[in-house]
Amino acid sequence: MKSILTRLMTAAAVIGMLATVPHVKAADPIKIVALYNLSAGGLASIDGPSLNGAKLMAKQINDAGGLLGGRMIELTAIDTKNDLKEAATGAKRAVSMEGVVAGIGHSDTTFALASAPLFQAQGLPFVTSGATSPDLPDMIGGEMFLACFADDVQAHAMAEYAYNTLGIHNIVVWTDNAMDYTKGLSKYFQDRFTKLGGKVLLNDIYMTEDKDFSALVSRLKANPDAQGVFASSGPDTAGIIIKQIREAGIKLPILGGDGYDTELVSTVPGPDLSDNVYFTTHAYVGLDTGTAKAFREAYQKEFGNPPENAFAALGYDAMGLVADAIKRAGSTDAAAITKALNETTAYPAVTGQIAFKNGSRIPSKPVAIMYVDHGKVNLKTTVTPQG
Amino acid sequence: MERRSNLVAVFGAALAGAVLVYGASSVLNPYLLSIIAFLGINVILAVSLNITNGFTGLFSLGHPAFMTIGGYVTAIMTILPARKAHLLPDLPAFLARMQWPFLPALIAGGLVATLAAIIVGFPVLRLRGHYLAVATLGLIFIIQGLATNLDGYTRGALGLNGLPELTNLWWVYGWVLLTLYVCWTLKHSSLGRTMMAIRENELAAACLGVKITRTRILSFALGAFFAGVAGGLWAHLVTLITPTSFTFLLAFQLVVIVVLGGSGSITGATLVAAALTIATEALHPVEEAVGLYGLSQTLLAIAVLLVLIYRPKGLFGMAEPDLLAWIRKLPGRQPTHSGSKRHREV
Repeated sequence: MKSILTRLMTAAAVIGMLATVPHVKAADPIKIVALYNLSAGGLASIDGPSLNGAKLMAKQINDAGGLLGGRMIELTAIDTKNDLKEAATGAKRAVSMEGVVAGIGHSDTTFALASAPLFQAQGLPFVTSGATSPDLPDMIGGEMFLACFADDVQAHAMAEYAYNTLGIHNIVVWTDNAMDYTKGLSKYFQDRFTKLGGKVLLNDIYMTEDKDFSALVSRLKANPDAQGVFASSGPDTAGIIIKQIREAGIKLPILGGDGYDTELVSTVPGPDLSDNVYFTTHAYVGLDTGTAKAFREAYQKEFGNPPENAFAALGYDAMGLVADAIKRAGSTDAAAITKALNETTAYPAVTGQIAFKNGSRIPSKPVAIMYVDHGKVNLKTTVTPQG
Repeated sequence: MERRSNLVAVFGAALAGAVLVYGASSVLNPYLLSIIAFLGINVILAVSLNITNGFTGLFSLGHPAFMTIGGYVTAIMTILPARKAHLLPDLPAFLARMQWPFLPALIAGGLVATLAAIIVGFPVLRLRGHYLAVATLGLIFIIQGLATNLDGYTRGALGLNGLPELTNLWWVYGWVLLTLYVCWTLKHSSLGRTMMAIRENELAAACLGVKITRTRILSFALGAFFAGVAGGLWAHLVTLITPTSFTFLLAFQLVVIVVLGGSGSITGATLVAAALTIATEALHPVEEAVGLYGLSQTLLAIAVLLVLIYRPKGLFGMAEPDLLAWIRKLPGRQPTHSGSKRHREV
């Protein structure tokens, strides 16, 4: 019903435009492509909400009359199926679509590295909602923008929180060696943690496909001095790691990055075992005022459930950032949009204000530290790292 | 007369293909073009596997391993030095500074794959029986393990991404033509006959003075060269390569293509490779709509069973049906059916 109504209203608006403006050009949709892993893999649990967020923003803009004098945003989603080849061919399909002006998407660095270069090659801007490697803009080029903070920031925030607040001075680090994200996160965490005076007792690695962590667990047990585990994991393994560490009777705090911001962290181990876990993520929860509250209510209304995690807000912000740039550019020319994105000084995003300063294409935003207490995820604090 | 009309027909077909490629390149969108390019790469793979599995009667599963080798070597040669510093900071200096044009990089990839084939083939191909299948199966996992663990050269499990998009339809078409030409000439040459003699009766061939091991290694290495080149083409089409890009599943598909087309039939391998690529792409939307992921694999397996039951020699057996007859336009001419008759004409 609602969508029919919307369509009728859109049709009415279009007819109105046709009646007043002699040429149809102004009513052409503005095409934006979103690339996400929707149908397979643990990433689907954070990519799905991101796409919903992006859809919500596009709908809100369209309901408010579109951009550039009544042009609607047409958001096309491409499922990259948790497969790098699909990400690259999906990007190829996206840039070959008639009239596409920009791309958004991905919550993982490895996937962004597979698809964004194809946008770069065509001179189309690409805004990633949740791929967090600080090297992305350098590796891909001038068309690559982040709508989220980078891994150095969240890793430093967690290192400082672990050392100063939790009093963890000896730590064991686990790293997924098959993701750019986890490798980077682990490196930045250890840099900051050792600089603060902490000691890394053991550096263990595994692969994303691993299901059995008993070898890593027994090596962890062999380090009785350890006061915590920093498990740098993506959404695929985060829940399994928590489950197997707790099943072995180890009660140490488990620390992680935004890869833990998925329901898999509590559903896979179950509420009894999913306990004493800290992770960093993109700040938007806990703010009961302003844009964050409005976003949560709109999301609830549109999809029937509150935002699953911070990635929903990031998808919303990535779409909003592109729309804001199109508005300021006053055109859908790709080069003009890129220029406007570079000139973003204060976009009021749900996950914290976005500004691209001094040629950097990574915003500096606050980091939320979350605490999992018997399967319940609560905001502990919001921090901006010192170094 | 006949020789000349054959030559005209072959050139005519190649020219018609080139016109089609030109037309496709200027009309179709990049996505459809990449599907056609995948089709071409599959043809190269199937036809080159036919040298080993079809002509010489060996059972090799090694194509994914050779593609991985070829893909990585080509990629390391073509990545911009500035990007290499980011992706592969531990690369030795002489490789880090290097940037080759696409053609030499592809050939280098093919040659390294050939070298690997010779190293594996030398001990294994002196034995009788199905040792090659086991050895090449192992090779897939060894190469995968090396690619995952040689971090400094391959970036480990992450793979190399953002490769320059060098592969276009012309490159693929050129290599398809070369592969077809080499295989066709080989099949109708004395060396090709030697390979088939080994396949039919090893002992009899040896008695006639055929150097069995040497011929086998040669056929294995030649197949590996084209697989390596195809790996390079694939990597620069998809713009990335990871240790799991080419798995055992691909080896299975390629063996199936050779079996379906008829072991030893170049025409059969080409047609079946093309048909399967199109069918897999066409089935994607069906899979998504029905929610049956893996449907195309199941259908493929059923097709193999049916062919094995009703046409155990594959669609064409050893034969090369005369597809070029329409160009020659010689009325009353009988299409040739067997490879050996064809040989006398060429």
